[in-house]
Amino acid sequence: MKTLTKAATTGLLFGVGGVYLALVGLLEMMQARPIVFGAVNLGQAVLALLALACGVVAARDAGPAFARAGAGLLGGLVAGALMALLQVIVATVPLQGMFIAASPALRNMLAFGFAPGPGALAMLLGGGIGGLAGAVLAVTLPSLRRAIVAGAAAVVIAGVFQELIQLMMQYEGIIGWIRDFVYTWQGLRPQGAVAIFVIAGGTSLVLSHRSSADHVPSPDERRRRRFISAGVALLVLVLMPLLAGAYIGEVLMLVGLYILMGMGLNLEVGLAGLLDLGFVAFFAVGAYTTALLTSGSSIGLLHLSYWEAMPIAVLISILGGVLFGLPVLGVRGDYLAVATLGLGEIVRIVVLSDFAAPLLGGPQGVLDIPKPSIGSFELGSPVKLFYLTLVCAGVAAFIAWRLENSRLGRAWEALRDDEDVAQALGVNLIRSKLLAYGLGAAFAGLGGSIFATMLGSVYPSSFQLLISINVLALIIVGGMGSLPGVVLGAIALIGLPELLREFGEYRYLFYGAALIVMMRWKPEGLWPSEVRSRELHAAAGEAEPVAAMEPG
Amino acid sequence: MALLELSDVQVFYDKIEALKGISLSVEAGRIATLVGANGAGKSTTLRAVSGLIHPRAGTIRYDGTTLAGRQPHEITAMGLVQVPEGRRIFGRLTVEENLAMGAFTRHDRRGIAEDRERLLQLFPRLRERLRQVAGTLSGGEQQMVATARALMARPSMLLMDEPSMGLAPMLVEQVFETIRTINADGVTILLVEQNALMALSIADHGYVLESGRIVLSGPGRDLLDDERVRHAYLG
Repeated sequence: MKTLTKAATTGLLFGVGGVYLALVGLLEMMQARPIVFGAVNLGQAVLALLALACGVVAARDAGPAFARAGAGLLGGLVAGALMALLQVIVATVPLQGMFIAASPALRNMLAFGFAPGPGALAMLLGGGIGGLAGAVLAVTLPSLRRAIVAGAAAVVIAGVFQELIQLMMQYEGIIGWIRDFVYTWQGLRPQGAVAIFVIAGGTSLVLSHRSSADHVPSPDERRRRRFISAGVALLVLVLMPLLAGAYIGEVLMLVGLYILMGMGLNLEVGLAGLLDLGFVAFFAVGAYTTALLTSGSSIGLLHLSYWEAMPIAVLISILGGVLFGLPVLGVRGDYLAVATLGLGEIVRIVVLSDFAAPLLGGPQGVLDIPKPSIGSFELGSPVKLFYLTLVCAGVAAFIAWRLENSRLGRAWEALRDDEDVAQALGVNLIRSKLLAYGLGAAFAGLGGSIFATMLGSVYPSSFQLLISINVLALIIVGGMGSLPGVVLGAIALIGLPELLREFGEYRYLFYGAALIVMMRWKPEGLWPSEVRSRELHAAAGEAEPVAAMEPG
Repeated sequence: MALLELSDVQVFYDKIEALKGISLSVEAGRIATLVGANGAGKSTTLRAVSGLIHPRAGTIRYDGTTLAGRQPHEITAMGLVQVPEGRRIFGRLTVEENLAMGAFTRHDRRGIAEDRERLLQLFPRLRERLRQVAGTLSGGEQQMVATARALMARPSMLLMDEPSMGLAPMLVEQVFETIRTINADGVTILLVEQNALMALSIADHGYVLESGRIVLSGPGRDLLDDERVRHAYLG
């Protein structure tokens, strides 16, 4: 009985989720993006995923296999019934006055192209089958399950990003042959989908078979593997814009800027524990300093070249960071977040004000910022600037990494844990905190400087609070205090939504969902720092097994 | 001579007077203790000495120099180190890393390594737990970490805030035994305790604090026998 109630509740939950996605218009929008051309689109895939996930959740802890299957079936049926009900309501009641997304196209999609009656039946059945499949998936061998999930994920990626991938495969010969086998110009071919599914699933099977036959990897080995994957990621980053063209270059450029800012904020929040919501101020300082020093317009001060202006911009940002830190030295935790929020807004409003307009240009901003050039070679395009960003990010990452393991880094971590005790052990509170603000600001200022030359102009409206929040979100999702985490977080939260640009308005829905899911199931982030994951596991009461191995 | 000397120290939290003019002195090489009930001002006294709060009036002198206006880290660098109350260790760092943090102000690698070895002999339990995350240790072990961490700074004087708080009676005995050992190695100690019986029995000199004032002082043994102390704190 309890199992049934739980399964039904789960079904209701997922059904409501589906109805929500449908009514906000996301499902219909996703329908426009095919996965396998002419066969499956993203909207259908999301529906299927909902049913499957519903089955998996409903079947969890349900006891024997048949009970699990039943629970999955019931959950799927309930979820399907809700969706079917929605479809029938949309068909009979004119809802579009309230929900603009409740269109005939949506109804058609939810009925799989049938009339309302048979459509409802199909949705109900589909939900049941999906739920049952989810339940079965939940009880199959972990290695097989992983293979199926990997295969499906690979197909979805290959389909959703087909334009991008095809762009990268513009070659004759073997690559061209593969491309023509897998894709038409409109999207993935069914035969391509099957091939990708088999290859990805098979690879996963082989890998999981090998790793289970092997021993558990030692920490050293794990570290080496991480380094290798980081190296591969770097290589991909370097080659990507060359292969995939200008658009990807622009997206990566944006990701690179956020990585720079993320590394800066990571010093403040991740290491020193100073929750700063006014971080965008430093980005603005870097951008405006560069703009004023280099601009060829009448407002420009010195008409320096970019290379002369950049280090000055970074220095001014550091100074800005220290000045910013002074008034909030004695403020901790939540209060600090609110205080820095205010400070960040003050900077933006000052820049926007008439009072500062003669110097900063007010709402008109500063125009005519030159591009950097090496000799006679001008870094004119976003792709070329992306490489500049990449180099800067690399240098910044090296500095951040050295800082992390330095005396200062340890002082920050101690302050983060307990200010009083850290001071009692000899940590200079004032200097350490101001350095955290100053160095964090240096990274953001560098980002701002590149941003200014990339756009060729700066406006106050570019420095919204949302940027601070984005940066904070990406380091939380990536993993507080972890450098690779910053990179992953920036790709996941800035890069991916940019690639799915037709869902632009729904970006924050994705954001919100991703944040909630991460905080609920993986609070330490995508690539957690060692200390942070330790902390969370210690909190869960899992003692480290290492102690037993130490000789007494 | 007196290593630490407080004269007429007054501390205010906003308008509330927490210390109403305290004078006490700790002789070099001795153990002094400050006992009193909850809220009497014991921890406030320690916070004033370690520079976390600044007295409104009165002077605190350490080794002949005044501590007025000094930052906590400067006072630590002078050799006056606090073992904070409630075993405030860095819970997500390992025992090893906690000890390393204790030597934050030092740069003599060899000296640090020697001191570490010496402390691990004093606290053999910590050697077994070196790589363990400190937050997962038992209460007694955490107290050991806090004490060892403070000693890693090679202090000439240790300020100990309620080291026996929340520990089982058997562990309390051990803690006081350790304090005596540390003192025998030449470290001057100011011990703040609610457990007046134990504290007074190891202290050379004791002060009884009551609502921000010192109401009694004298050699530890004498205070133990004092009728008023027995009545008020020992039951």
